[in-house]
Amino acid sequence: MDLILQLLFTGIGIGAVYALVALGFVLIFRATNVVNFAQGEFSMVAAFVMVVLSVDLGWPYWVSFLLSLCAMALVGAVFNLGVYYPLRHRSFLPVIIATIGASIFLANSVLALYGPQPQVLQGWFDTPGIQLGPVYLDSQYLLIIAVTIVLVAFQYWFFEHTLLGKKLQATSQDKEMASLLGIPVSAMIMLTFVYSALLGGIAGILVAPILFVSIQMGATIALKAFAATIIGGFGDVAGAIIGGLALGVIETFGAAYVSVPYKDGFAFLVLVLFLIFRPQGLFGERVAEKA
Amino acid sequence: MSLIALEALTVRYGEIEAVHGISLAVEPGEVVTLLGANGAGKSTTLRAISGLAEPASGDILFEGRSIAGLGPEAIVKLGIAHVPEGRRVFPGLTARENIMLGAANRGRMARRAIAEEADEMFELFSDIKPFADALGWTLSGGQQQMVAVARGLMAKPRLLLLDEPSLGLAPVIVQKVFSIIAEIRRRGTTVLLVEQNARMALSVADRGYVLETGRLALSGKPEELWRNDDVRDAYLGGKAAKAV
Repeated sequence: MDLILQLLFTGIGIGAVYALVALGFVLIFRATNVVNFAQGEFSMVAAFVMVVLSVDLGWPYWVSFLLSLCAMALVGAVFNLGVYYPLRHRSFLPVIIATIGASIFLANSVLALYGPQPQVLQGWFDTPGIQLGPVYLDSQYLLIIAVTIVLVAFQYWFFEHTLLGKKLQATSQDKEMASLLGIPVSAMIMLTFVYSALLGGIAGILVAPILFVSIQMGATIALKAFAATIIGGFGDVAGAIIGGLALGVIETFGAAYVSVPYKDGFAFLVLVLFLIFRPQGLFGERVAEKA
Repeated sequence: MSLIALEALTVRYGEIEAVHGISLAVEPGEVVTLLGANGAGKSTTLRAISGLAEPASGDILFEGRSIAGLGPEAIVKLGIAHVPEGRRVFPGLTARENIMLGAANRGRMARRAIAEEADEMFELFSDIKPFADALGWTLSGGQQQMVAVARGLMAKPRLLLLDEPSLGLAPVIVQKVFSIIAEIRRRGTTVLLVEQNARMALSVADRGYVLETGRLALSGKPEELWRNDDVRDAYLGGKAAKAV
């Protein structure tokens, strides 16, 4: 029982990271109808910026964190202008290929600038964690869970209770109609990319002390987050969060009870099972393409 | 000066020319209807005015100023609201939210002020008042049409473009929609109305134009058009159908 609680805590912590990245996937998908395959690279780039600022330059952790977020906002904006915007009137396929290209470009840019050695980033707190009854609560996992709760609450408030949030929703539901009402569609999509890059960046910085900071971390996180969106039902915000948490718990239990080397494999096993037996995900509906 | 004037407007979709050099004008305070069969170029004309389709040649003058080539976001800010075919109510937003977003063209406004104006819309469209908090996709066709028109009026337009507001609605609801158009006109908003339901359209219009396969075939007062046999042909699709 103690072990189960401990695994549950760890699983939810890592799942929260997948959920944040998955949210970025879903928001961009809803705004542009395109899956952004560079979403994981946002996490990787943010983690490297964080390493440069806080480790190499030795700046205070929170200053580095804020500057990393600024950098990610910039990355999101440039990504929108350079990858999505020129192709916005094309079908989804050229755009998807462009995001894959951008993903390769980002990973190899970091490789060229920083070299292939994985880096280590310290956690935010000096205290490693606290013992709560039978469960040891690692401080970094606690931070991840807390930040995820705050971000999800913020996002809910923003989309449901602000006019700007409603304009973003309108843009994702019918761009042409939104533009007829005078909603600045390009600005709304820009905002979506910036916010998604920030979500990915926060996830990357939060998970960096748990993983190594490496060129490959983006692809790993993105595939897990992608699986999470499939589990939750593609395009569904609540589904992405629950799918991410579920995936984190499944792989943690899988590693503990079945096989540690196959830890990453469980995500794909679940992904494949869902694609075969419930392709619309937990919360999704089968939506026919518009005629 | 005409509120809106089309001068030899031509619009293409790729290789296909949907509108061939039509000229027409709408004076301030008028309700003008554009009649014609399917594919006559009515919707394309409205799409060109609101900036969704770019004119290939010719000009569009709004209060004497050319707006041809401007984007939809810029044109709605000038005071032209387009209620497109198929209503296009945002399915995942409530009726009230849909209507509130109609004010998006009017720059920065306090949310409270927009909400008050939306409440006024629910007085004008009392049928949808009970459904203010229902999501767009749950509304019936008639309710969606009322939301779409209310959303268009929230832009405080000087020119309202209505595309097929009666399409797919039960006769009773069609009556309601047209009584609302009459009310809009009483309030002084100029309306350019595209319809296939010629009888209803001519009953509220000051003047009408008849389009046939992208060309202007006829124009005149409702009674003149109504007496004309060609109109019956045109709006029933007689000639267009034969041409195909």
